[in-house]
Amino acid sequence: MRPNDRSYLKSHEWCKIDGDVATIGISDYAVSHLSDLVFLDLPNKGTNVTAGESFGEIESVKAVSDIYSPISGEVLEVNKDLPDNLEWLSEDPFGKAWMLKVRMTGKSSDLMNGAAYDAHCTAEG
Amino acid sequence: MARDEALLLSESSAALRLYGWAPHAVSLGYFQRLADFADLPAGTQVVRRLTGGGAIHHGSEITYALALDAHLLPADVDQSYALMHDAIVRAVRAIGGDAHRLEHGPAPGARPHDRWCFAVPGRHDLVDAAGRKVCGSAQRRVRTPRGPRVLHHGSLVLHRPSLTPFVGAIADAVETSRHMELRERIAVELAACLSLELDRDDLTAAERALAASLQASRYENPAFAAMR
Repeated sequence: MRPNDRSYLKSHEWCKIDGDVATIGISDYAVSHLSDLVFLDLPNKGTNVTAGESFGEIESVKAVSDIYSPISGEVLEVNKDLPDNLEWLSEDPFGKAWMLKVRMTGKSSDLMNGAAYDAHCTAEG
Repeated sequence: MARDEALLLSESSAALRLYGWAPHAVSLGYFQRLADFADLPAGTQVVRRLTGGGAIHHGSEITYALALDAHLLPADVDQSYALMHDAIVRAVRAIGGDAHRLEHGPAPGARPHDRWCFAVPGRHDLVDAAGRKVCGSAQRRVRTPRGPRVLHHGSLVLHRPSLTPFVGAIADAVETSRHMELRERIAVELAACLSLELDRDDLTAAERALAASLQASRYENPAFAAMR
């Protein structure tokens, strides 16, 4: 069972909302299916992200994948150490490997709770 | 490249495009730095791919682009490579060529990050009997209004390109006269491994229009090649 203190997108991003600030990352399922990660590109502080749209890109040895935002708003903080420490994504995808903190102005209507996301991952295989 | 991206964003559930290169050119992986290729011979055409991995000198080769709904592939990226590379092996062997998939090669994470895709074969890569990489491939995974989609790029070397003479080449073992047949076999085997029916077709008017737009805004735009 994945953490139930946050919400998930079908595309395997999570967001944890605290007041009007949302922390965003990607799930253990995304990390394990991408296999060995080699590059991560995140937006700069101060840029705006839009729910449902790509805010970053991640490269594994064999695939480049877009990362989609569950939240709309302004990027307040970026985990600048993460691109140089991609192993954190395997070690602690729901903690140390957070990607952005965003001042939330809106959120995706497709967010799921932990149980629904677990079921989604099981269905994807 | 623009047509491949147009197919990735299109409404068709799966499309396979086979092509070659005129003039010969170098494609950079999506995350590579153009500055790392400042030593290329003058006049070398360079284009940035949407897919990742290392650079490829595209000379005499069969390039394939498979754009499809993600659910048609195994969710696991590794498994999707194994499935499609085994199909390419069957195609190569069907015409008397030699290639096999490295099942237990170096763990991908342990591979040196060489700038050339073909420099160091890794797990799931296709190599010849001498262990030289003969087929390179890479994927892009996106979500579109249609749902999750995958673009799988592959390059199967026919004759060794001048900038990467260390690669394997189909022409070492198979007469050039059979290379067209190989192209057909690739289409047949890729379709079969995905349980899809082959239907020869051209891009739709909408796909052509999108490709033209992407060509102008992205692939022929020097800023895109130089974005990193």
